[in-house]
This record gives sequence, C-alpha cells and structure tokens, in this order.
Amino acid sequence: MAGTRQQFREQLAHLEAQALEGLDMVVATLDRALESLQQRDIELALIVVNDDDRIDGRYLEVHQGILSLLALQAPVATDLRVVAALLHVIKHVERMGDQCVNIAKLIPLDGHEAPVDEELMRQIERMGLCARSQVVQSKHAFAERDAALAEDLVRQDDEIDRLNRDIFRRAIDIGDEPDVREWAMHMTLVARCLERIGDNAVDVGEQTAFVVTGLFREFADASHVGARP
Amino acid sequence: MNPPETKSEEGTRVEASRSEAPQAPAPPRAATTAPATGRRVALEGLHAYYGDQHAVKGVDLIFEPNKVTAIIGPSGCGKSTLVRCINRMHEEITGARADGHISLDDLDVYGDGVDVISVRRVIGMVFQKPNPFPTMSIFDNVAAGLKLTGARGGDLRRKVEDSLRGAGLWEEVKDRLDSPGLGLSGGQQQRLCIARAIAVEPEVILMDEPCSALDPVATLKVEELIAELKTRYTIVIVTHNMQQAARVADSTAFMLDGELVEFGPTQQIFTNPKDDRTEQYVTGKFG
Repeated sequence: MAGTRQQFREQLAHLEAQALEGLDMVVATLDRALESLQQRDIELALIVVNDDDRIDGRYLEVHQGILSLLALQAPVATDLRVVAALLHVIKHVERMGDQCVNIAKLIPLDGHEAPVDEELMRQIERMGLCARSQVVQSKHAFAERDAALAEDLVRQDDEIDRLNRDIFRRAIDIGDEPDVREWAMHMTLVARCLERIGDNAVDVGEQTAFVVTGLFREFADASHVGARP
Repeated sequence: MNPPETKSEEGTRVEASRSEAPQAPAPPRAATTAPATGRRVALEGLHAYYGDQHAVKGVDLIFEPNKVTAIIGPSGCGKSTLVRCINRMHEEITGARADGHISLDDLDVYGDGVDVISVRRVIGMVFQKPNPFPTMSIFDNVAAGLKLTGARGGDLRRKVEDSLRGAGLWEEVKDRLDSPGLGLSGGQQQRLCIARAIAVEPEVILMDEPCSALDPVATLKVEELIAELKTRYTIVIVTHNMQQAARVADSTAFMLDGELVEFGPTQQIFTNPKDDRTEQYVTGKFG
C-alpha cells in the first residue's frame, strides 16, 4: 500500500535536505575562510564570522523540526535511525561552522601584511582542500546511504592528521623572527581547526554507517593508546 | 513432529497427545505461598484454519515466562487466531481447526484428555471489548470464577480484594463492590476483566487488543498494570498499536498473511528490524 504516511515522508525528506544543505553551507564558509587566509582579506574574514548566524539558524531549524517529528510522528526503524543521525549531523554542521569562524577570527591578528612562510601556507592550503573534500564526501555518503564511501573518510582524515603534524613541526622550526613565529603559531591553530573539521566529517560518516547498518561504531578509536592527534 | 491427528469431541482436529494418559494442567502455583511465576508457552509448527482458509501457517514461537510478548501485524494476519489457539478458544468456532503443537512448560495443551476448562483457567484471556458479566456486581464479577474453584466466605473476599488490587482497581471500587460491573467506565471495566482473569490464578494471560476500546488515560493504566503483572505471569498481547507494543513488550513478533515474519527483542524490531517486510510495516509503508 504505497503512499501511506506521505506527509511524514515529506517532512523527513525535507529535514534531511535541510541538514545536508547545512554541509553545503559549511563548504561555502570554509572556502571563504581559506580565501581570506590566503589573501589576508580581513573584510572577507569578518563576513565569515558574521555569516555564522546562518549556520546556527539552520541548526536551530533542523533541531526544532526533528523534535516536532519525534513528538508528532513517532518514527521507528530506519526512519528513527535517520532522524537520530540527522540530529548528530546538524550538530556537526554547527561545530564545523564554528571552526570556520575560529579560522576567520585569527586573520585580523596578523593583518594585511602578515609575514607568510610560503611552504607553511602551501601545507595549510592542502589541508584546507582535504577538509573541504571530506565535508563534500560526507554529504554524498549520507545522501546516497553509501557506508563504504563514508568509511573512506578515515583514509582522508589520516592525510589531514599527517599535514597537521607537518605544520606543527614546520612552525617550531620556522626561525627566531618574532612576527613570523607568531604568524606560524596562528597557523597551527588554523591547522587544528581544519583537523577538527575533518574529524566532524568522519563523525557524519559514522552516522551514515549507523543509518545503513543499524549499529553505531567509531571508524577509528582516537582514544586508544598510540592514537595520534 | 508429525504425529497422527485425531478429532476432538468438539469436532476440532488437533494434534494427538504424545502421552497416552489423560492429562490436566498442573494446579496453579499461585495457590501456594511461593510467589507465582509465569510458564513457558511454546508453539511448534502451529497451523490454524477456518474451514479452507489457512489463517496461521506453521508458526514456531516461544513465549518466555515473566515476559511480555507483543504480536503485531495488519488486520487478518492471523495474530488473534494464533493467540486463541493457545487456550483452545479457536476450536470453539464452527469449522475451525488447528494442527501442530502447543506446550505449557511440559504439558501438551492439545493432548488427549486434557481438560479444556483447566487449560483456560491456567491460560487466562482478556478481550478487546470489556465484557463484565452484565447482571453481576463488581464483587461477583471477580468472584464468579473463584466460586467454581470452591472458594467461599472470607477466603473468597480476600481473593476478590487481592485480584482487584492486582488489577489496580481496588481503591476505585472498594466502597461500591455491590454496584453493577457495567456501571464502571470502560477502562475500569477492562481492569475488572483483568481482575476476573487473574482471580483464578492463571500462569499465562493472553490479551487480544485489550486497550483498543479505551481512552489514552485508561490505556496507560492498563499498560502500567501489564508491567506489574509480568512479574507473576507470562503475558502475550495482540495489538494494532505499535507504540503500545514498543512501550510494554520485551519481545515482539510480526505476523503477515498467517506467517511469523520476524520475532526478536522489541527494541530491535522498532529500531533495526532484520526483515524488510517488518521494516515496511512498522514504518507505516503498508498495513
């Protein structure tokens, strides 16, 4: 009997679309944050900071929609797992938006004439592209219910983690010039933000696997002995 | 398990008992001082028919003691028929018959010589619509079955009070025990029927959509009662209300077209069912 609970299905599909659009918003915000970093564009950085209200608004919108759906439609089985997963996904969207804001807030500290180390900047750029790619992939994996694509995020995250360590070492070895050292310290903070965005994308991937399999498991245990940041 | 079939006195074809000697269900354990516990009910290859209509098709299922098992499924899937086979109510319908094996612990419920009345005393039933005896008072509704067991006087009054307390109704009716049972609200009448069912100290309680005629408050009271009753009885509940199954049942069985599609912990059925047909049903895609 097709067509039953049509209104519920439309509401759930709408909520999922809203949450996944949140990931698109993160990608757009991340692009701006990275561009403002490369161009040392303080005005663009301020736009990134102010624009975070849109992502926060999306979080509240989806969160409220999920509460209403739970209260009014009592979803079960796969529907319930999707709803629970969306609650996590939208939280990760909000966190990733905050990380973009954290990056943008560092840019005015060094000004338009920041003493850039080209090698370090190239590493940041590569890391930014990796993080962006992870967010895009996490969205596709969720939308397509592709657990293999979701788990592949771990591979990309390893690359981000490696770059994060390289950037840290480069910052330590960057020399004695105080302005350069301060800028490099800020770049380690940017790298940390990008690394966290990558982690959030992996978390979205774990929610995809939960929806598909019904079992939640961490793809990689960051808390075990020997795990690297 | 394909023993020869015989005709019962009621004309219902049932599986022959494995033992030759007539049997009767063991006396209710609640009669002793030890706290009562439910008994295990096992269905093996159960088939049920209405004439040519095959209503239950080879169901194997175990109802564990002191657990609530819900049976869900769309209308006509055979869930009520299955439950009515357990206490041999199914055979009361003209042309109806059942094959297979149902055991209550070690007792073959359909065994030769098994006393049907005794089976129904040990396996009580609560129906969809509250059905108190219309001409009887609240007290007599509960006492009716007890009198058949020989209870009299103070013993009878104590057992009636215990049963009404057990059904969560005593405080509401203790000052009007002589009033007609039909004067109670629908929810109270249903709890009166539950009191009547537990008065004769059964070990298994079958509930066939016990809340479908009740309002939400009365429904919640019955659900709370079910949670209390399971400490003493094995409970099987047929329900169309999936949220009710999710709230009250430890295990849930999903039936479709007379077949048992899936049986498992209720949490699994409602969060991660293994069979796609279960998924389709509980998410409302059909039914």
